[in-house]
Amino acid sequence: MTILATEGLTKRFPRVTALDTLSVTVTPGVTGLVGANGAGKSTLIKILLGLLEPTAGTAQVLGLDVATKGAEIRRSVGYMPEHDCLPPDLSATEFVVHMAQMSGLPRTAARERAADTLRHVGLYEERYRPVGGYSTGMKQRVKLAQALVHDPRVVFLDEPTNGLDPQGRDDMLRLIRRIGAEFGISVLVTSHLLGELERVCDHLIVIDGGKLLRSSAIGEFTGVTQTVTVEVEEDSRPLAARLGELGETVSAAGRLLMVKVRGPETYDAVRDAVCDLDMSLIRLEQGRRRIEDVFRGSAAEIDETGQAGRTHETTSAAASGGVTV
Amino acid sequence: MTAISTPEPAGVIHDIGYRHYDGARLGRGHARVALTRHSLRGAFGLGRSFRAKVMPFVLLVIMLLPAIVSIAGMALAQQRGPVIDYPNFAATMSVVLAIFLATQSPVLVAPDLRFRVLPLYFSRPVTVGDYVVAKVTAMSLALLILQWLPLTVTFVGELLVNPPGDPGTGRYLASMVLSVVYSLMLACLGLAIASLTPRRGLGVAAVIAFYLFTTAVSQVLTEILGSMSQDDSAGWALLINPFYLVDAVQVWLTGASAAMGNSYPGGASGPVAALGIVALTALGGAVLILRYRKAASA
Ligand SMILES: Nc1ncnc2c1ncn2[C@@H]1O[C@H](COP(=O)(O)OP(=O)(O)OP(=O)(O)O)[C@@H](O)[C@H]1O
Ligand SMILES: [Mg+2]
Repeated sequence: MTILATEGLTKRFPRVTALDTLSVTVTPGVTGLVGANGAGKSTLIKILLGLLEPTAGTAQVLGLDVATKGAEIRRSVGYMPEHDCLPPDLSATEFVVHMAQMSGLPRTAARERAADTLRHVGLYEERYRPVGGYSTGMKQRVKLAQALVHDPRVVFLDEPTNGLDPQGRDDMLRLIRRIGAEFGISVLVTSHLLGELERVCDHLIVIDGGKLLRSSAIGEFTGVTQTVTVEVEEDSRPLAARLGELGETVSAAGRLLMVKVRGPETYDAVRDAVCDLDMSLIRLEQGRRRIEDVFRGSAAEIDETGQAGRTHETTSAAASGGVTV
Repeated sequence: MTAISTPEPAGVIHDIGYRHYDGARLGRGHARVALTRHSLRGAFGLGRSFRAKVMPFVLLVIMLLPAIVSIAGMALAQQRGPVIDYPNFAATMSVVLAIFLATQSPVLVAPDLRFRVLPLYFSRPVTVGDYVVAKVTAMSLALLILQWLPLTVTFVGELLVNPPGDPGTGRYLASMVLSVVYSLMLACLGLAIASLTPRRGLGVAAVIAFYLFTTAVSQVLTEILGSMSQDDSAGWALLINPFYLVDAVQVWLTGASAAMGNSYPGGASGPVAALGIVALTALGGAVLILRYRKAASA
């Protein structure tokens, strides 16, 4: 089953082409849509929701054509915009109840669903206070709650981690993972940071300048780039040389060695080499962190921190708000 | 669905898992009614801060003052007829209605524009038409409450006091019906003007400016033409003020006297005023639809 599919989708604005003959397919689960600022992520979501008309091409959501079945699509999807969208004088509860009714839920059902959904996104006592006084993290939760309150089959989350601190980012990403895995709602989530989506997505789509760069399951992304990080107490250069002799691909990043994992034999090689050289191993870490390197060319643009070119240790930390191991 | 058994960080409690909703999903009609109700409550500041309630309720009380004076007058003098005759009530109290329209129209439309709530509506089954209809209905109902309440209080008072003579039942009913037309026209105009800016203060100023401008132009022209003994033209100039259009129609249809001692030209002025009302209402509605079509794709 496909959640959405586009075929030659194009959107031209007077001055720019936001989407350029984009053809993608999204299957159930959590799908990340990654691209630099202006890549066309929000434009794609707006077309899928029927808020914008494409210049050319077709798009389907849940098997329904956006051009003719917009009303039906909007009944079954949720949308969290990238920008602020909350009136400050209403409480989170009032607002989410209202939005549930706008999706067709009767009043009592809307109340129950709003209470449940706000609890699921982690808003408790504060939900009775006007939204105007909320922190960015709390506002993002309300925005997420209104997208989920009518129990959609798919949600489009446009930069949900925008403006959040590392802790807030982690919470939001964990929530997104739960929406896909536990709630059983398919998610299309955008970000300009590959690193953070890598942690929660089943599938990644990378676009740049409105064009598709790559679309594949997360396993394929990490599969090709699986590395193991080796740290030893001594100078690591002899170890690097030894591993090279054993046929491994090694790169040094400061005191650390990144060894490309060819298979289980790579771990054996590291163990043997460390033993042979009589070194003390400090750590041996498996990392899926080189996802940025898949797109070395575009990574520099994609990563807003501009650290893509540096050692991947820093890149990964900056991109995902914490090192994932 | 799978239950999560891994420990969650402090502060996050997952007592029950996610439950899907399999209850009723009603159509757009339900959403329209809910949005109308939500907006009508907003127009009177219900469910909002105390400050939001002050203006609408002060204006409602002012609208009720003539009713109280009328009832007291009828009781003391034992004479029929309120101080402002039913059909003239709306036009005579037009300043109060205009202030209500100016202060409350932006309350209905500005926040959704300013805080960019519209994409949340239009990514749901709600259409631009539904949104505009709900907002216009809510504002019309708010203006109706401002007129129906004092009219009805006065009429009930008249029946209770029961001074000698026939009660003004016909004129009361006619004014109740005409106030619907009046409210619809004002709501379309007020909301259309207010929707052009996301800023509330600016919206208030714009609606007030519209009221003052049309009133002043019509008044000045009427005075000038009157002093030149061009009485017919002076009467036509009155109709530049949209607040007098409905009054002219009620003079035409019910044969009652005009409000504020106005005299509209005979003959075609009634039908022309009626056309004017239809045109202004349609214009306001069209501006709203175009405005929100544009906002929906932004
Ligand atoms: N309404 C519009 N009118 C004209 N140009 C637009 C409009 N909306 C978007 N664009 C342009 O289309 C391109 C794609 O914009 P879009 O918002 O889809 O990018 P994005 O990937 O969401 O970027 P960001 O990460 O900044 O949110 C940009 O160059 C943008 O300037
Ligand atoms: Mg965007």
